[in-house]
Amino acid sequence: MHLTIGYLYGDLMNIYGDTGNTIALQRRAQWRGIEIKIKNISVGDKLKKGGVDIFFFGGGQDQTQQTVAKDMQKGKGKLIKAEIERGIPLLSICGGYQLLGDYYRPHKGPKLAGIGLFPVYTQASFERMIGNIVIEVSPHPEVGLPHQLVVGFENHSGKTFLKPEAVPFGHVIKGFGNNGEDKSEGCIYKNAIGCYMHGSLLPKNPQLADWFLQKALEVKYGTKVELKPLDDTPELKAQRTAITKFG
Amino acid sequence: MNLKEFTAIAAGKTVLGLTRTLKVGGGSAAPGLYALKIYPDLISKLSRQIPQTVVITGTNGKTTTARMLAYFATQQGLRVLRNTTGSNLERGIASALINSYQADELLRVGRSGPATYDLAVWEVDEAAFNLVLPQIKPDLIIFLNVFRDQLDRYGEVDSVVKKWAQTLKHIDPQTTILINGDDANLLELRSSFRGRIRTFGVKNYKISGEKTFADKQKTRLDFEAVGVKTIGLQKTSFSITWDKFSTPATLPLPGVYHVYNFLAAFAAAHIMDLPLKPILKNLPRFSPAFGRVEKLTFKYAGDRTREGYIFLIKNPAGATQVFQTIAPELKKDDRLFLALNDKLADGTDVSWIWDTEFEKLKRKVQELKIFVSGSRAEDLALRLKYAGFDPADITVNRNLVKSLSSAKRKLSGRLFILPTYTALLELQKILAKSGVKQHYWKES
Repeated sequence: MHLTIGYLYGDLMNIYGDTGNTIALQRRAQWRGIEIKIKNISVGDKLKKGGVDIFFFGGGQDQTQQTVAKDMQKGKGKLIKAEIERGIPLLSICGGYQLLGDYYRPHKGPKLAGIGLFPVYTQASFERMIGNIVIEVSPHPEVGLPHQLVVGFENHSGKTFLKPEAVPFGHVIKGFGNNGEDKSEGCIYKNAIGCYMHGSLLPKNPQLADWFLQKALEVKYGTKVELKPLDDTPELKAQRTAITKFG
Repeated sequence: MNLKEFTAIAAGKTVLGLTRTLKVGGGSAAPGLYALKIYPDLISKLSRQIPQTVVITGTNGKTTTARMLAYFATQQGLRVLRNTTGSNLERGIASALINSYQADELLRVGRSGPATYDLAVWEVDEAAFNLVLPQIKPDLIIFLNVFRDQLDRYGEVDSVVKKWAQTLKHIDPQTTILINGDDANLLELRSSFRGRIRTFGVKNYKISGEKTFADKQKTRLDFEAVGVKTIGLQKTSFSITWDKFSTPATLPLPGVYHVYNFLAAFAAAHIMDLPLKPILKNLPRFSPAFGRVEKLTFKYAGDRTREGYIFLIKNPAGATQVFQTIAPELKKDDRLFLALNDKLADGTDVSWIWDTEFEKLKRKVQELKIFVSGSRAEDLALRLKYAGFDPADITVNRNLVKSLSSAKRKLSGRLFILPTYTALLELQKILAKSGVKQHYWKES
């Protein structure tokens, strides 16, 4: 078996250790004998249906996000949406999450159009929401995501609000989450998750990393997949320590 | 000296005496903090009395560059004042200015204090730069580099550079600025400054900077290192070219990043008209700042000794450069001791370890024993697992004292100690207590 991670704008959107997420996916696949490669998909690159088995989309600097937003409007956004519809898993964080919503409204200047994958919108604020974050993910049985605690580090001033039809990824136990107001964090749509959790997220939350791998294999090979269990002692120790310290 | 100024300095001196007597610190920040509350103009008032001032900023290398420039100038007989202990915020500079007064001479104006110095060399934090600069009015500003570092505090690289550019617009064009010409982000500063600009860099070397769009356009470098060769952990050799001159140099430090620090200090000395010959002659005897390639000797029973090296790690670019430098030197029986803290001065966000190439440490030596400590030891251990190290070779203990002592136990090779900033400060104390080295504020 083999998988391809599509690292969306990996050369531009990779702030706050987001690359750790692709490292986690890569290693956890390799440890199970699954071949995996990471493909950077940047400005001007072509993307075609079935070319990617998991999407990852990190955060970036303000200027970069404008360039990326523009590029996504040129067909790439449409294709990503179609791929998510057929079950391709996606993880997006911070800036990447914002650009997959309806729009981002800065303090001044025009709105930055998103691709409307997640039914959310983001507004710039003067508040820096920064610190360790612990959330409780309620079960999403429709996609096989069990109840769990997830820990990370957030650092954003954009406030993201969910539209009525949006399903939050989790409920904030400690931290700010989407907007620091309604205790929601992130958004989940099909097998796509958007959130504000750096940290890096996946190394310390291995159960979530494996969920992405499992979804990717199921979509690609069309069968139910059981991943071989790994010895996750250091992963779970880091997770538990962080949750106890900050939760 | 007006009354307010006198009170501020006297109060600073009192705080300095107290912190040292009570052993609560080296007195490199608190005196300035209190004195500035009493007299906010203290820095501009006092620093004006020093004939020449150099300011050094950038993400990595400030302390080493400042120390090197001070070393060069001192050899020429100049009296140099600097903020010695890496205390590089406004309060650290105020503290250094206050400390320049002899306590018993405070009442005899002119006999001590800043006026008795020829040169001030200030290392200034990237964010504090914009606040401190207008108060200091330097003759020379050195921009070393700009990398992602503690984004929870400084913000993104773009915004750091933008703020520097804003500050430069209001700087006296009599000032000279010296820029690392290999860092494309810094080259953008040129359009914001009207005065003289000089550049330094390493020939055919590309620093893995943060510039992602246009590749660095080749800039003419005013001071350039050519043919850089690292010789173990002891030294680096190369030639320096400037104007129509070229001369060989040997730096008693490993790593290309130190060549950049040297070039900055050398160029600064040239701009200040210091004679260059003695600089190059005395260069091999330069000793680095605390925690930067610092060599230690551990004593064991029966007169046995073991070597230790301390390398500060604090951000992805700096830590990766350290790994690249030591990896080829790691031998069988050597051990690594890594400490990751998440206090304010380290950055509360430990995500940066995932941008740091720990994979670079994984060379040659297969069964390297690694000891991992600090308040986020578990995160660091996890990063090492994902960099390809076997968890069975990694010993995790958050307690620095205990972890260091097990790393030293039955050590038959060398111990490489790689701490983040506050872990380094704690280690200084632990090592001082066990007699391995002096307390840090006694060093200069």
